[in-house]
Amino acid sequence: MTHPKTPHVVDARYMEPPEPFVKTMEMLDTLKPGEKMLLLLYREPHPLYKVLAQNGHAHETELLPDGTFEILISA
Amino acid sequence: MIAFENAPPFAAPLRFFLTAPLFAVLAGLLVLFEGPDLFASRWMPATLAATHLITIGFMLQVMLGALIQIMPVVAGANLGHPLRVARILHAGLTLGCLLLSAGFYFSRPSLLIGAAWILGGALAVFLVAGARALIGVASTSPTIRGIKLALFGLFGLALLGVGMAFGIAGGWPLPFAGLTDLHAAWGLGAWGGILLAAVAYVVVPMFQLTPGYPAWSGWWFPPSVLGLALLWSLAVGIDAVILGRLAQAGLALAGMAFGIQTFRLQRQRRRARADVTYRYWQIGLGATLLALLQLLIVAIWPGAAELPGWSLAFGVLLVAGGYVSFIVGMLYKIIPFLAWMHLQNQGMAKVAAPNMNKLLPDLDMQRQLKAWGLTLLLLLAAIGWPDWLARPAGLALAASSGWLWLNLYGATRRYRHFGRDIDEKLAALP
Repeated sequence: MTHPKTPHVVDARYMEPPEPFVKTMEMLDTLKPGEKMLLLLYREPHPLYKVLAQNGHAHETELLPDGTFEILISA
Repeated sequence: MIAFENAPPFAAPLRFFLTAPLFAVLAGLLVLFEGPDLFASRWMPATLAATHLITIGFMLQVMLGALIQIMPVVAGANLGHPLRVARILHAGLTLGCLLLSAGFYFSRPSLLIGAAWILGGALAVFLVAGARALIGVASTSPTIRGIKLALFGLFGLALLGVGMAFGIAGGWPLPFAGLTDLHAAWGLGAWGGILLAAVAYVVVPMFQLTPGYPAWSGWWFPPSVLGLALLWSLAVGIDAVILGRLAQAGLALAGMAFGIQTFRLQRQRRRARADVTYRYWQIGLGATLLALLQLLIVAIWPGAAELPGWSLAFGVLLVAGGYVSFIVGMLYKIIPFLAWMHLQNQGMAKVAAPNMNKLLPDLDMQRQLKAWGLTLLLLLAAIGWPDWLARPAGLALAASSGWLWLNLYGATRRYRHFGRDIDEKLAALP
């Protein structure tokens, strides 16, 4: 799945925890410095934010009208 | 490693979850003991006692225990000293609820005053801790804003409840009938309704694999409900009857909109099998919509409230049929999930945690769900035929709640068993 913001997308909207977290961490491991990935979820993943900050990954979140949170994460 | 290292220890919410069903058992025993008298009117001492055993002893107990657990996860708000807050709050709610119910039942003003101090104090501790955790957190999602507004609703609920307890005990000349309705509006609307919605925005899509709630409804529902509760309060304060009825109608319509929306999302769920949580939510939504229809009818035609059994039916539908069903449905997801998460962390990525179904078997929950469905039918039928059905309804309430406790306790027992197992396996690793 690709997206205008980045070709690296995890669409976790119909996944049960902890799958979204695991898939995101797996994809982050494959990215090169400077690349970005997008996580799609119907909620804000605060525990993930904490881990991203601890590991030095910046993120930006946008809430879309259909209730999707788009979380753009820098590798 | 799962990213929940900041979550409070399991003991923080668990004490609430394991105490709550016991209060529902107590309420059932009270109904069984009192029999038909309890269904004579909402103002009977035993009826007021049973109502608060459920609303404080069961509902508030679980709601606050769950909030302590989920605030870091759904709002990124870390409560300072979660275990200490949990201990104080749990002790206060438990003791306060017992005193309050005894105060109503035995018509003892001193017990009501004691309950008001203890419940007020415990809630103040929680509200201060909650406000401090949330104060620096931006409202980036409808859930965060909802939780903030729900805490304001809890403050209003507690203020009215404590004020009325002192008023009843002191014989103050207050308009108790109107204040009681307002107290219920804050408890079941501004606190319960907003909290339920704020949590549903996260857990309905997450646990039932449905689409998300549209952003606009998430942003609008919580402030609308709080605004309408404030409007109702103003109407009671200045004795503006029409304004109060408008606020009632607004609350009924807002709640119905949320209920219908949730029904529609659940219909689009991607999980093929209807699990216990889904069924509990369907019961809860159906009962809530009926209760809110009653509220709408009363707003248009206040005389309906005088119909025999009307107010009791509203209370049974909204509190037992709606809230208790939603809460049990969520407990059945949250407890195995938390237990699994703590076991997963304990295994340190070297030993896997057991499947959640092994912690709380589906069959146990399915059977208890059927008992709860029967309980609701008996409670509703007992309003019409109290002489025949009041005691069976009480027995059913006590039995199905006792069964809930057994299921939840069983999950914690298995959790400890698997925990020891994981420790042994870790120790045996090279």
